[in-house]
Amino acid sequence: MTGLFSEVFLGALLFGAVTAAIPLLLAGLGEQMSEKAGVLNIGIEGMMICGAYCGFVGAFYSGSLWLGFLTGALGGMAVALVMALLCVRLGLNQIVIGIALTLGLEGLTALLHHFQFSRSYPRLPAADATVIPVLSDIPVLGPALFKHHLLVYLAVALVVVMSIIYRRTQLGLNLQAAGDKPAALDVAGVDVMRTRTIAVLTTGGMAGLGGAYLANVGAGLFIPFITNGAGFLGIVLAMLARGRPIWVLFGALLFGICLSLTTAMQVAGINIPTDVIQMLPFLAVMIMLVLFGRRASLPAALGIPYERGAR
Amino acid sequence: MLKHLKSSVSAVLLGTFVLGSAYAAEVKSIAILTPEEGTDYGWNQQGVDAAKAAAEAAGVEVIIAQGLGYGDVRPTLRELAGDGASLMIAHASGYNTAAPEIAKEMKVPVAIVDTPAGLEKGLVADYTLSGHEGAYLAGRLAAKMSRSGQVGIVVSGEPPSWNSQSAAFAEGVKAENPEVKVTYAVIGPAAYSDAAGGKRVTESLIASGADIIFGQGNGSSFGMLQAVETTKAGDGGKVYFIDVIGDKTPIDKGFLLSSVVWNITPVYSAMIADLKADTFGSHGYSIGLKDDSVKLLKTDAIPAETWTEIMALRDDVISGKIKVEPIYDAAAVRALMTSVSE
Repeated sequence: MTGLFSEVFLGALLFGAVTAAIPLLLAGLGEQMSEKAGVLNIGIEGMMICGAYCGFVGAFYSGSLWLGFLTGALGGMAVALVMALLCVRLGLNQIVIGIALTLGLEGLTALLHHFQFSRSYPRLPAADATVIPVLSDIPVLGPALFKHHLLVYLAVALVVVMSIIYRRTQLGLNLQAAGDKPAALDVAGVDVMRTRTIAVLTTGGMAGLGGAYLANVGAGLFIPFITNGAGFLGIVLAMLARGRPIWVLFGALLFGICLSLTTAMQVAGINIPTDVIQMLPFLAVMIMLVLFGRRASLPAALGIPYERGAR
Repeated sequence: MLKHLKSSVSAVLLGTFVLGSAYAAEVKSIAILTPEEGTDYGWNQQGVDAAKAAAEAAGVEVIIAQGLGYGDVRPTLRELAGDGASLMIAHASGYNTAAPEIAKEMKVPVAIVDTPAGLEKGLVADYTLSGHEGAYLAGRLAAKMSRSGQVGIVVSGEPPSWNSQSAAFAEGVKAENPEVKVTYAVIGPAAYSDAAGGKRVTESLIASGADIIFGQGNGSSFGMLQAVETTKAGDGGKVYFIDVIGDKTPIDKGFLLSSVVWNITPVYSAMIADLKADTFGSHGYSIGLKDDSVKLLKTDAIPAETWTEIMALRDDVISGKIKVEPIYDAAAVRALMTSVSE
């Protein structure tokens, strides 16, 4: 050890862990809603990168991060609208359309970036932090956990909101039924297509918001392919969490902490292959969620387009 | 029967030689494939600019296929070969499996990176370049200018070119001042476009005490730049950034200390010459301080007398008075960091 592990450094590592976790949390929660409703949303990476681009453009030209988050969410929803139209309404293959959307959006945003920003590479100023009184004064943990942008706290609060929706509202029941027994939901007089469309659009909004946070706060800029697979990690979290929002939060945080841990191990000068160190986040999340999240199950009709009257 | 067999073999060998000579003689166009846009003030831009310059100098056409990402480029390679490219430069370490495959399939020579053992005469050349001499000077510069006595290295992967520069940078720091600590962190196995990861890791190194960051990262280097622009050093002062390969001066906000700038044009020109001379794929290529294909960027942040000292060191490297050997192996690089930081 090198004596480098000061309070400031440990605080920065934890701060970085939370910052890295938030886009995954938002994407994972979004994906979870889609999956609950029976739609396997492989296009979430495309929704995230569209959200990142739209969010950055919104924030850059307006000077407001919040407007950026709004445009990011709308950008994600616009992609989700295409997904809903093709997969929910027309019943096309969800995996094929999802991959096509992701590849298409990666290309489109790279092209738009080329024309707009590839000579100037504008960067946003550092995001303002919302400081939680008293708690932010706790050594190490305080600055790391309680001096973030307001969206971070809202994203964590969203976990509670989603849990309430799933457990205590009619919408939650409808979503569950749309994924498990869509025909039964239909018989009960609830429009399955509408329920699934709402879920996919919400997913797009949340993924877009996650992308916007990644670009505007996480990086402070937009470059092509900036999401770097974060959407796919969101899918993994949602699949492993199997319907429980709290496990998406735990998974995302664990992933972020492990990312920071890899940095700490390298700074400490531990000479083991970086590839091994970098496997840590993926391994840790998989082990944790397989061990603790296995009781829940995935929806029976996941990935299957609903067609009224079809057997 | 034996006579017929000998004749057939001779005919095949002769045909191969004639065909090979025909490939060797004709270079009508070259193509370059890059994972990101050739406007990144770094690896991709230097590659594209060099291909244009080399093609112009040789009087051949150049085809640019940029922003291809880090996935499968086989379809693009086939298309470029079908379009008549005489040489395809696969300008990303992620392409060094696909490119030789397509070279064999389409019988079009390719140039790849980070695979020195992958040479195949007439078909596959490797141009694993290293600006280690420049990185050594950057290390000397960083050690001279660090206020905290700690500098950081952030990389978005560990390809051989970057390993050699990381090692040389650390050696330069140690040679200048053994008391200066060097911290080292990789964002991810291939996090070339992970700007958020670049920012996060750079912020962590700054928090650990580094006030100068040596960053190697394609698109992720913009995240590193953002981190030094928005994070203060431990003493409340500026954190400076030393870039590699390209020159980010046009987009700098006053935090760019220097850059180990590469000029790849001589390498691509040599490839075209090798194709014409039928020596393509028989050797690798290099860049260095001697012919200015590697240069340390001068910025206003460097005091004049410090720059003079660095230029004197440059002369010593060129003359051989100072030896800087490339270290390509990642484990050796990490071992060096460990010893430096202790």
